[in-house]
Amino acid sequence: MSSINTLTVNVDLAFDDFSLSINQTLELNGIIGIYGHSGSGKSSLLRTIAGFETNINGSVSLNNRCLIDSNANTFIKPEQRNVGLVFQDARLFPHLTVVENLSFAVKRCDNPQLVFDEIIELTALSSLLHKSISELSGGQKQRVALARAILAEPALLLLDEPLSALDKAAKVNLLKLILVVQTKLQLPMLYVSHSLEELQHVCDNLLVLSAGKVVGYHNIHQMIHQLNVRQQEQLIHHQTSLSLPIKTPNNGHGLAALLLTTEHSIYLPALEQMPLTANSSNIANSQILRCYILAKDISISLDEPRNSSIVNQLLATITAISEQENSVLITAMCAQQVFYSRISAFSQQKLSLSINQKIYLQFKASAVRTYLY
Amino acid sequence: MNPDLLALLTTMKLAGLTTVILLIIGTPLAWLLANMTSKRKVIFEAIIALPLVLPPTVLGFYLLIAFSPQYLPGQLWQQATGQQLAFSFSAIVIGSVLYSMPFVVQPLQKAFEQLDHSLLEAGAMLGAGPVDRFFTLVFPLTKASFITAASLGFAHTVGEFGVILMIGGNIPGETRVLSIALFDHVEAFDYAKAHLLAISLLIGSMVLLAAIYLLNMPKLNSVKQGVK
Repeated sequence: MSSINTLTVNVDLAFDDFSLSINQTLELNGIIGIYGHSGSGKSSLLRTIAGFETNINGSVSLNNRCLIDSNANTFIKPEQRNVGLVFQDARLFPHLTVVENLSFAVKRCDNPQLVFDEIIELTALSSLLHKSISELSGGQKQRVALARAILAEPALLLLDEPLSALDKAAKVNLLKLILVVQTKLQLPMLYVSHSLEELQHVCDNLLVLSAGKVVGYHNIHQMIHQLNVRQQEQLIHHQTSLSLPIKTPNNGHGLAALLLTTEHSIYLPALEQMPLTANSSNIANSQILRCYILAKDISISLDEPRNSSIVNQLLATITAISEQENSVLITAMCAQQVFYSRISAFSQQKLSLSINQKIYLQFKASAVRTYLY
Repeated sequence: MNPDLLALLTTMKLAGLTTVILLIIGTPLAWLLANMTSKRKVIFEAIIALPLVLPPTVLGFYLLIAFSPQYLPGQLWQQATGQQLAFSFSAIVIGSVLYSMPFVVQPLQKAFEQLDHSLLEAGAMLGAGPVDRFFTLVFPLTKASFITAASLGFAHTVGEFGVILMIGGNIPGETRVLSIALFDHVEAFDYAKAHLLAISLLIGSMVLLAAIYLLNMPKLNSVKQGVK
């Protein structure tokens, strides 16, 4: 097995009203998010990698194995690619029970390494094994679909909007499960979604597509921050995206604290449970919380606010000011961490903010949003 | 052997063989038609549906000519087997296959068209190749249509008369099937024997059709799936 797993996509794909043109190498480790609005080409990219798009110019290779090369007339069929795919609509086989659906994958796996019972336990399916598909809820179906895809032991797992058909509680559960599976099995995943909220809680890196082209590919936080300051088409709600160690999940007054620096904490509503339970203590980043703060939720004060109910007050230095239609996006640094605040043009006129100016960023605990806990 | 029993045996042999051949030829044909997007599809569909509207004697007439040793198909057959094709059991098998084709192809094509192809994509992503997908996904999911197609093909072949009379004649043990035996009895004014054959064919066909409709009753299907 090669030590560095990579996926290289260099393709042009033309439809009547849309074209996809991508030249990107992705180092496969952890979960790579693919973000874009509908029509951005993210699903076409996934279908290209899976082998369902046949009319392709260019090449795709996975771990140095060529999957498509239009010049050499190479096209590996989907069933021979060793790529898994979890669809948004589960696509379980209705004439088979849960366990038969899972066995379908196991039987076709060339060299099974995984222990069936361990995967069942991991995905909490033991009580559902003998049920028929029509008896399952949406969340259960997706759990079976995920387990089935894992049991085929692919070299790369594609997830195509796996949560879009689920309600919030089921979404959170499946997202947690995806994280656990990824950490335990070290299975590289490409996770396609139009929900940045989902992506920033599971992805390590983010590939952003717009109108069939790559906008950027970076570490998740960097990529989101790049999208904040993008001058062209606005792809996201401006926000500060963070991964911070948890200092305390509940300080006894209904707040949790995250460590920004040794001196500075960020407070948010108390976490009901620690991210990932104790028995998964081997997970190195179990104490890290992913969260985000919308730029519109951060306000700016020139003096240190005293006697305020707002719990988060950070002294920061302005590094950039970008004027947009009726608002101004302020970029400010506080202890190596960048923050984004959007204020009205009126406030900017009143405060006359300038670069290198010291300011206080203020935001309520409830402005610190986290998806999973 | 009782000549009517012999006719029954010939009929069953003919219908059974025809059904097997039709399933073998008709399944890939139905699959191709179901997945065809070009406009030429209608031409193929029309050709296959022809026996539904054409008088059987028309088909029988052309087959009789084609099977005669003066024409290429008949010639080739004679060279290959040393026997004449017209007025043989093989001739009525070929005739029945063509004549009952729509009864097998149409229900299968409809089932394949309605089949959720996204499930086949899911199968492919789990490593199942096309043949594997056919037998483990397509066939079980369209099983009811296969049973319908086979039963209709079988029943329609049993009920055949015109084509067989044209290309098979009336050779006991070879081409003399039930419907022709019935015709013989009527011509000989032996109404008692004619009645016996007629009522047996009527009841047999009725039972077979009722069984098909029972199988395709939507309520029954859903109950069966729920229990399974």
